Amino acid sequence: MNYFPWLTIIVLLPIFAGSLIFFLPHRGNKVIRWYTICICTLELLLTTYTFCYHFQLNDPLTQLTEDYKWINFFDFYWRLGIDGLSIGPILLTGFITTLATLAARPVTRDSRLFHFLMLAMYSGQIGSFSSRDLLLFFIMWELELIPVYLLLAMWGGKKRLYSATKFILYTAGGSIFLLIGVLGIGLYGSNEPTLNLETLANQSYPVALEIILYIGFLIAFSVKLPIIPLHTWLPDTHGEAHYSTCMLLAGILLKMGAYGLVRINMELLPHAHSIFSPWLIIVGAIQIIYAALTSPGQRNLKKRIAYSSVSHMGFIIIGIGSITDTGLNGAILQIISHGFIGAALFFLAGTSYDRIRLVYLDEMGGMAIHLPKIFTMFSILSMASLALPGMSGFLAELIVFFGIITSHQYLLMPKILITFVMAIGMILTPIYLLSMLRQMFYGYKLFNVPNSYFLDFGPRELFVSISILLPIIAIGIYPDFVLSLSVDKVEAIISNYFYQ
Amino acid sequence: MEYTYQYSWIIPFIPLPVPMLIGVGLLLFPTATKNLRRMWAFPSIFLLSIVMILSVYLSIQQINRSFIYQYVWSWTINNDFSFEFGHLIDPLTSIMLILITTVGILVLFYSDNYMSHDQGYLRFFAYMSFFNTSMLGLVTSSNLIQIYIFWELVGMCSYLLIGFWFTRPSAATACQKAFVTNRVGDFGLLLGILGLYWITGSFEFRDLFQILNNLIYNNEVPFLFLTLCAFLLFAGAVAKSAQFPLHVWLPDAMEGPTPISALIHAATMVAAGIFLVARLLPLFIIIPYIMNFISLIGIITVLLGATLALAQKDIKRGLAYSTMSQLGYMMLALGMGSYRAALFHLITHAYSKALLFLGSGSIIHSMEAIVGYSPDKSQNMVLMGGLKKHVPITKTAFLVGTLSLCGIPPLACFWSKDEILNDSWLYSPIFAIIACSTAGLTAFYMFRIYLLTFEGHFNVHFQNYNGQKSSSCYSISLWGKEVPKMIKNHFCLLSLLTMNNNERTSFFSNKTYQIDGNGKNRIRPFITITNFVTKNTFSYPHESDNTMLFSMVILVLFTLFVGVVGIPFAFNQEEIHLDILSKLLNPSINLLHPNSNNSVDWYEFVTNASFSVSIAFFGIFIASFLYKPIYSSLQNLNLLNSFSKRGSNRILGDRIRNGIYDWSYNRGYIDAFYTISLTQGIRGLAELIHFLDRRLIDGITNGFGLTSFFFGEGIKYVGGGRISSYLLLYLLFVLIFLLIYSFFFNLNFL
Repeated sequence: MNYFPWLTIIVLLPIFAGSLIFFLPHRGNKVIRWYTICICTLELLLTTYTFCYHFQLNDPLTQLTEDYKWINFFDFYWRLGIDGLSIGPILLTGFITTLATLAARPVTRDSRLFHFLMLAMYSGQIGSFSSRDLLLFFIMWELELIPVYLLLAMWGGKKRLYSATKFILYTAGGSIFLLIGVLGIGLYGSNEPTLNLETLANQSYPVALEIILYIGFLIAFSVKLPIIPLHTWLPDTHGEAHYSTCMLLAGILLKMGAYGLVRINMELLPHAHSIFSPWLIIVGAIQIIYAALTSPGQRNLKKRIAYSSVSHMGFIIIGIGSITDTGLNGAILQIISHGFIGAALFFLAGTSYDRIRLVYLDEMGGMAIHLPKIFTMFSILSMASLALPGMSGFLAELIVFFGIITSHQYLLMPKILITFVMAIGMILTPIYLLSMLRQMFYGYKLFNVPNSYFLDFGPRELFVSISILLPIIAIGIYPDFVLSLSVDKVEAIISNYFYQ
Repeated sequence: MEYTYQYSWIIPFIPLPVPMLIGVGLLLFPTATKNLRRMWAFPSIFLLSIVMILSVYLSIQQINRSFIYQYVWSWTINNDFSFEFGHLIDPLTSIMLILITTVGILVLFYSDNYMSHDQGYLRFFAYMSFFNTSMLGLVTSSNLIQIYIFWELVGMCSYLLIGFWFTRPSAATACQKAFVTNRVGDFGLLLGILGLYWITGSFEFRDLFQILNNLIYNNEVPFLFLTLCAFLLFAGAVAKSAQFPLHVWLPDAMEGPTPISALIHAATMVAAGIFLVARLLPLFIIIPYIMNFISLIGIITVLLGATLALAQKDIKRGLAYSTMSQLGYMMLALGMGSYRAALFHLITHAYSKALLFLGSGSIIHSMEAIVGYSPDKSQNMVLMGGLKKHVPITKTAFLVGTLSLCGIPPLACFWSKDEILNDSWLYSPIFAIIACSTAGLTAFYMFRIYLLTFEGHFNVHFQNYNGQKSSSCYSISLWGKEVPKMIKNHFCLLSLLTMNNNERTSFFSNKTYQIDGNGKNRIRPFITITNFVTKNTFSYPHESDNTMLFSMVILVLFTLFVGVVGIPFAFNQEEIHLDILSKLLNPSINLLHPNSNNSVDWYEFVTNASFSVSIAFFGIFIASFLYKPIYSSLQNLNLLNSFSKRGSNRILGDRIRNGIYDWSYNRGYIDAFYTISLTQGIRGLAELIHFLDRRLIDGITNGFGLTSFFFGEGIKYVGGGRISSYLLLYLLFVLIFLLIYSFFFNLNFL
């Protein structure tokens, strides 16, 4: 066992290095940008190194644990540790955040604050994925809300204040329930508050209390994920935010909800989860259809993509609700895969907005002639999003389908019905994605812009989009890349359900 | 020999480097890649020829001793679910392999010339090679998941290729329509696969059939559910093969470049549905309902496709409907259980139809130089006519294809179609009558296309001074009347843009000067205008280049001789199994000939054949009666005009003819029905849900925010520090309290 505090360094490095930005000399934005990108890359490399050399994949237990007492009388520890469930999202965070900082190079206004906030978010996200203490989880959860709010309120579009307020109110409202749940779990059954996830996982509660706690956590996470009907902050937020923020939002932030759902609701409250899982599945199936039907009605490009990611979150919910090994693996694969696909789609939408300066789809058209590379990448990633085989989205959805089919919890008829509804979503997805492509790129149109000459992708943007595309294809061809990370942990979680 | 089988997994991946290299090249080094332009055609053809040699070798092995080879790798390793990848070589696969590779090579060869002026040349070859990869993967795959994967990839290639000329709005809608319609089929396919997995727990074909048979033997299978699954699986095949309810995408898919229509939408991809049904026939055969359903869908499609093809103006659409009808024949044959006839027709039809499409491509290519680059005009049969003088070789090739499709004896389709018709008599007389009469219709519409295109006079030059043309049967579209002027307008526009508008550039540079490599042709507007105007005054279509003709000639040879594989040579009684196809498919299913001895009764054969041939000749005769130009080709453009000579029964006849014409011209009203019911329905639903989402769900949130805002404002106002308002509030509450108190007080008294 090595006692080098790898995880603490990984969590704290970005925010500390980020606060140094304010002390950098005034040499223009270039220095700040390079500094931030270097920090991000360093962090990513550090994470990868740590996971390569100090993490055993075949061990379902928590590893790299660190345990420092922080606040004495409250029994509050700085407890970190990772297992198969969190390693995927952490790597995703590192990857997407690095690319998002690279994508954010055109931002020039207040770039010190901007980059600091990006780095602070980096810390918050990794912290919440790796914390093994409930209160620490809550603190980290809150920590990354503030940067998002500021990023949204300062660098957003026209209606940024409205959406930022909506975002913060929604998520803060959800956080109240999270706090209630955390305290309820922590204070139950003993005078000393126990917040350690390890011990909590082995504790059992009366069913009524468990249900109440479950509902509290569910509300908190369903704001974040989002689950209908708590999703309306998402299109507004994604529609207004700068695209680098959107990448973080769609790529990582939404996944924190799913992560929390698995980590807390499934692991800590198994009874309540098996009670609630049919409802989760029903809600998930409705969500797939509902969001997929709302999406074609959107005129705003980014909102359309935002609804598509709401629709894809339905698969995660169903995978979590199916309580099978397969289904949960599929949900985790979908977390990772949508992290890549959603981030890439928002990146592309943002960059094409930078060029044509049009928000509404019906005003666009005929861009393919001027922007062939964007057209190519956009087509490929839309295909990835509509679950074309060979890309990661297809496999994730397929595995979720198998999860439902092989689930022993449900009767044949409901299973058929749910599968049917999910598959209808499969028909609706190409309708909105392809009509989006058609409205943007196909056809022929003269722009009224005075100098109708658009710059295609530069090398930086090409690099960003290709480096997101590669893992998508890699996972699609060989899914064991991701599945091997989480298989053992998932098995451990699911086996809990069979002991009862 | 074992080695060949062992390494045959490589077959689908051989053409893969081409699209990968072109894709990477176009993204990263666009200029360098575009400079190499024509070079890229070479490796794609070369790699495909390697596949062809391999597959020919494999099928020779198969003929020598029929045996099935399967090899499987695991793909994902998990306790609960394991997907596997594998390849399966059996007679069906080897037939499909040869078909795909031969047609593919010829089409690639052809399109090198056809697309040479297009700026999307490289993109085209990348898509084509990727299509070949996924199609080869589809036919060699050994389990259902793998089939599904390649099935979708093939659909995506078709989407990309239909939308190849993305600046055309019609192409944009067509490709979306194709993808979504195919997705409906994929929906069924996926659900069917999942259901079968639930029943049997396996994806492998052979395991699956075996487990199913065991289950049925032990009577443990939920029969209704199994039927549902089989039905859903069949839905996938319906969409891909353009069968009746989901056929709407195929005619629209003709927006793609013509080589695509030849390869994907006539020969290979649309045959994938037939392939799937053939592959799963052991499953379908267990359930008689499904077999009946398949043949029912088949016969509906046969009839529908033939009637819709009757009055199409667009040459490619006419051919597309004919493809649909012929696919219906194959589906019918499969539904009847005559596996061999279906596959035989698949082969012969693929070559004949590929030939027809390549021929039409050649015509379009030569017409484009004259009437302009618009599918409304260059593919419009009304504007053609009398081309046989100008494009003699194309004419011969097209005629051979037409005759073959009509079922005229020595040509390929005769043998297979005759076999299907014979089998249909054994199956059900009603179906047989429909199938036979449709054979007549086929002959009619094919000859209509042929006559309108090649006989008579060249119509383009008539249109400017003939008022009759724009009257009843069709109206000349906006571009039609004044060609040179509109073209000039376009040219102004083009010279304003001075860039990448590929189609128009390629059109203008068609015959005027040779292009040397990379679009040097971009900015030379003035030369081209003068050239064009002079050309317009006395221009006739030219014969296409040798490369295009070469492919067509090879296909003519195929069309002439491919029937040999299925003709039963039963001259000497010792060698019954001389016929290659039967040898390949020997141990396979045959429902209709239970005591299968392949010695054919020659007398029966001749009577049947003469019957079907006479029907075909009847169709040809009617067509030539109606469309043969007697004094002017203009009078015979549609069914309406040509019957004006006859006096008696005229009104009724006209009405019927009008009805048929309208039915065909409006595509059987099915597209319109779908547009109204489904598209509008989904759009309306989307609007409704969007409205609900914004007003109701978001409204609650916003309403909550607004209420709290007003509440706060109210509190602020009340708590503004004015003594009088405090007093007022105080008194108000005291009053309320008193009221309540008195109320309870009274109650207590009572």
